[in-house]
Amino acid sequence: MAEVRGCQIPEDRYYWPEKHVWARPEPDGTVTIGITDTAQHLAKTIISVTPRGVGRQVQRGRSAGTLESGKWVGPVTSPISGEIVAVNDAAVANPKLLNEDPYGAGWFARIRPDDWASESRELVTGAEAVEAYRAILEREGISCA
Amino acid sequence: MLRVRVVELGLVSPVRSQSVYHAVGYALRPGDPPTILLVSPTDPYVSIGFHQDAEREVDLEHCRAAGLPVIRREVGGGAVYLDHNQVFTQWIFPREAVPVRLEDRFALYVQPLVETYRSLGIEAAWRPVNDIHVRGRKIGGTGAASLGESEVLVGSLMFDFNHQQMARVLKVSSEKMRDKVVQSLEEYVTTMRRELGAVPPRDEVVQRYLDACAAALGAELVPGTLTAEEEELAAQLDERFLSDEWLFQKGGLRQRGIKIHEDVRLMESAIKVPGGLIRVIVRVHGGRIDDLSLSGDFTLLPALGLAAIEQAVRGLVVHRDELSRRIQDVYRALGVQSPGVTPDDFASAIAQAVQAA
Repeated sequence: MAEVRGCQIPEDRYYWPEKHVWARPEPDGTVTIGITDTAQHLAKTIISVTPRGVGRQVQRGRSAGTLESGKWVGPVTSPISGEIVAVNDAAVANPKLLNEDPYGAGWFARIRPDDWASESRELVTGAEAVEAYRAILEREGISCA
Repeated sequence: MLRVRVVELGLVSPVRSQSVYHAVGYALRPGDPPTILLVSPTDPYVSIGFHQDAEREVDLEHCRAAGLPVIRREVGGGAVYLDHNQVFTQWIFPREAVPVRLEDRFALYVQPLVETYRSLGIEAAWRPVNDIHVRGRKIGGTGAASLGESEVLVGSLMFDFNHQQMARVLKVSSEKMRDKVVQSLEEYVTTMRRELGAVPPRDEVVQRYLDACAAALGAELVPGTLTAEEEELAAQLDERFLSDEWLFQKGGLRQRGIKIHEDVRLMESAIKVPGGLIRVIVRVHGGRIDDLSLSGDFTLLPALGLAAIEQAVRGLVVHRDELSRRIQDVYRALGVQSPGVTPDDFASAIAQAVQAA
């Protein structure tokens, strides 16, 4: 797993670095989405996780749900378009999971994508993702340390 | 030099005092200037946090009877009673015009508020991350949200605040708890009226605030009006914010007790033990017990023993074993008898109030 300025960036995800969200295609054709380590670090202690409901359509670039930390409320921007097929009930019940394990137990929702093949090309992965994220972290002066 | 549009809206309807900054936020396009809105509501209302459950947090029946609208905002935090004695200072900025780190963002936003108070002779200071305190008392809180392409920061110039009404609109388990809320607000919340002995002239305070904003932002403030698009969006949001569907959204936010300010929280619990039910209301200040109220249907003699226990634990950190030891000391000193209720039961009830989610 890569680490840039203290922020973890696993190379096996697809990222939209400006929106601080990741996507991971699953064997069953669905795609799991979540927030990045940087996002949880910037938001601080997350106290409410509210994905849009199962069955709802989301558009790439639009909100797939919202988060609240002690100091801030904002959307989780969906990196892809599709239908929400699952939400992380464990994280809804225990929002701190998004702080503790944003790439694992703190996933946000699972989506049946409309067109992963083309939308995934808008995202970055692997070494390219790490470098793209590094550029943003450096430009914005963000550090997770 | 950064140019910031300032829109002074004066008095608007309760719902518009909330919808307007959402509208400006959602209407913001790349290249648009930052906006500072100044607004107060014509009539009192209750504003609830985005993820709160209205039915759980607010006495909706009272609000209906009293004609108080209850309006969910897309900013976090708790329920608050608002009226014309606050001027809301709403910043709607393009993302790149505010610091990325929330501490820095609040530091920037809070600075003109603090300077305004200080220029009036009030010893206000930033209490990170997002409170403003005057010698340990809060003079208004602040909040942040991402709305569309904008970053929004909201807070207020706190001319006066109605503690009684604030406590009245909350849903609490007992009138005793409500009394504690009022008492805590009186102890830990302040206003310009309280600090200065009178409410200063609104226009003068607003002018001081805008001068402080210009200095903090290094910006030229340009008086402006809302665009037709913003007005239209605000009208649509008025409708949405007043709908039952919006109000009764199931919010998932569950907070321990009632937050009075960054360092002070009121919490309660009730536990059943062989000798009866123990009810606890505990106020914690900076991690220590600041006030404790015990009641229930158990028998405890001598009667003054209960007050002695309440006194004995003040100032302690909430640690069950330590609480239990201190309460045992009171039992020994006063020869307290309480059939079916042990010192440890009281300690458990207190610990539960503080730890319960």
